[in-house]
Amino acid sequence: MASSAINPGAPAEEISAEQKVPDKNRIALRRTLFGRFIRSLVVAFWVMFIAFSLLRFSPGDPIRLALGTDATEEAVAEMKQKYGLDQSFFVQFYDYFTGVFSGDLGTSFFSQREVTEVVAMHLPVTLMIILLSMGAAVIISIPIALSVALSRRPVITYFFRTSTSISLAIPGFFLALLGLLLFGTVVTWVPAAGYEGNFPSNLKYLWLPALVNCFSLVPILSRVLHSSLMDTLGEEFVETGVIRGVGKLKFYWSYMLRPSLAPTVVLVSYMVGIMIGGTVVMEMIFSLPGIGRELIEAVSTRDYAIVQGIVMIFGLIVVFTSFIGDLLGYLLDRRVTLS
Amino acid sequence: MSKKAKKIRVEGTLGVIIGAGMMGALLLAGLLIPWFGKYDANEISENQLMPPSSDNYFGTDMLGRDIFARVFDAVFIDIGTAFAGVLIPLAVGTIIGTLLGISRNRKVNSFIGSLIDGINAFPFLIFVIALVAFLGAGLGSIILALSLVNWARYARIARTRAVVVNQQGYVEAARTLGYKPSRILFRHIIPNVSSETRAYALSDFIIVIIAVAALSFLGLGVNPPQAEWGAMIKDGANIITLAWWAAVFPGLAICWAGISVAVFSEGLTKRIGEGNQQ
Repeated sequence: MASSAINPGAPAEEISAEQKVPDKNRIALRRTLFGRFIRSLVVAFWVMFIAFSLLRFSPGDPIRLALGTDATEEAVAEMKQKYGLDQSFFVQFYDYFTGVFSGDLGTSFFSQREVTEVVAMHLPVTLMIILLSMGAAVIISIPIALSVALSRRPVITYFFRTSTSISLAIPGFFLALLGLLLFGTVVTWVPAAGYEGNFPSNLKYLWLPALVNCFSLVPILSRVLHSSLMDTLGEEFVETGVIRGVGKLKFYWSYMLRPSLAPTVVLVSYMVGIMIGGTVVMEMIFSLPGIGRELIEAVSTRDYAIVQGIVMIFGLIVVFTSFIGDLLGYLLDRRVTLS
Repeated sequence: MSKKAKKIRVEGTLGVIIGAGMMGALLLAGLLIPWFGKYDANEISENQLMPPSSDNYFGTDMLGRDIFARVFDAVFIDIGTAFAGVLIPLAVGTIIGTLLGISRNRKVNSFIGSLIDGINAFPFLIFVIALVAFLGAGLGSIILALSLVNWARYARIARTRAVVVNQQGYVEAARTLGYKPSRILFRHIIPNVSSETRAYALSDFIIVIIAVAALSFLGLGVNPPQAEWGAMIKDGANIITLAWWAAVFPGLAICWAGISVAVFSEGLTKRIGEGNQQ
């Protein structure tokens, strides 16, 4: 501050401007996050609205379908009243919307089961598969991306790019069948059927579905991680690290991975949607009691209330995880904030 | 042109040729084999579950149908459905996204923008499954469902791009010259926006080929006698320990189709990337 006493002109302004920068950053960060939060809420509202209006796409009358063709007019009217389907579209949506907040997603037209109950019972298995596949994808992608980035040989990079784009073209359900053929019959590492709910024992049933499922994620993940590692490698601090002779582990983590992680974390959160789609297929193939199998069963029996509820839950999960991913992205790399 | 740049360009061209050749060969086989092949795709025989031989190249399925004939009978069903399922959302999404990008009405913009985000929030396959469930199974429903879901992804890309294109000098120049807004939109803005959405369409094509097969695999696609890769894999999955060929060959056909698009688009990206650097 001594300089400002001598010359109260430009330098003082410079100093105060420098001091303001972190504050400005924080405000910008808060504003961005708040904006993202509001946007997520709006999107969540649309998710509920779209899931709700799905029922309008059905060509027939769902109630008549549930009751069968020989149902009397009175029975249909009574059922409609029971489910509130005699109300106007917006009244129905308002009821559905407020119901969601009290944990009421409606009741199945056929089995009288509460949709919330179905979701609560089967969601844990699905989430477990998703978590396992994402964990596996991260564990597989990091060494691949690191070694390709550090090798610097064009042949390896070329091979890496080609093999990742080709492996994206292999359908997960085909890969799952091949896995089942190999690990179910040639070597019996996977139990043929059945499922146990408790944590360590269910891994026996879940490891292969999770591994197959992660194969749709590994190519994308390792490519993004590879390209952000290449960006990091161009930074001067990496060279400094090499010159200073930092220990191997510290170099890999602090100098290479940590600065490159932000785009990957954001991407992983966006990939939850793709993982959910893959998990549905895996649950069907490996006959696991997850929510995806419930969805397909509900689709084949035309149990629209359950389809609606499950689709909405999945949509909300994606909205939530993308918000969390953005949040983590900002926290990992503050530079994102200002752009 | 430097030696390295030339090499990358040659590699790119090679990729484009190989990819297009693979897809062309598949389409040609899909055209010729149902006409000139030994067996009809739906011809039932007593030789059930025969392993691949010189008579039945890919073996036979549970009803004794020739899998070789069925795999190639399905080419136009699968590729055609996927093609329509990419082309319609590409066109619709590009136009809607471009209009949003150049419109000045902020209310409409943020309203439709949030609707687009809402549609994109649903997991792709789940949303398509649900829509097909409500629309009823079948190829028409699959194309409609794919269009209803996917236009939003194209619209998002197009909107971002259109905002940039709209401020370019050549658009300003066209305005100054007094061209009609429709001419500026279709001759100047959309071609430049669609270069981006078309690039996305190529990678989307792979996803959609797999999704079409996955829907049939889950029982939401074609009606039974019709040969279709996903449905064939579904039938073969139950007997995979007895007859691996019933599921593996249609699966390989999907891989072939997907890889041909992947190789093609990789080559194209390389060529275009090289062009941009110069």
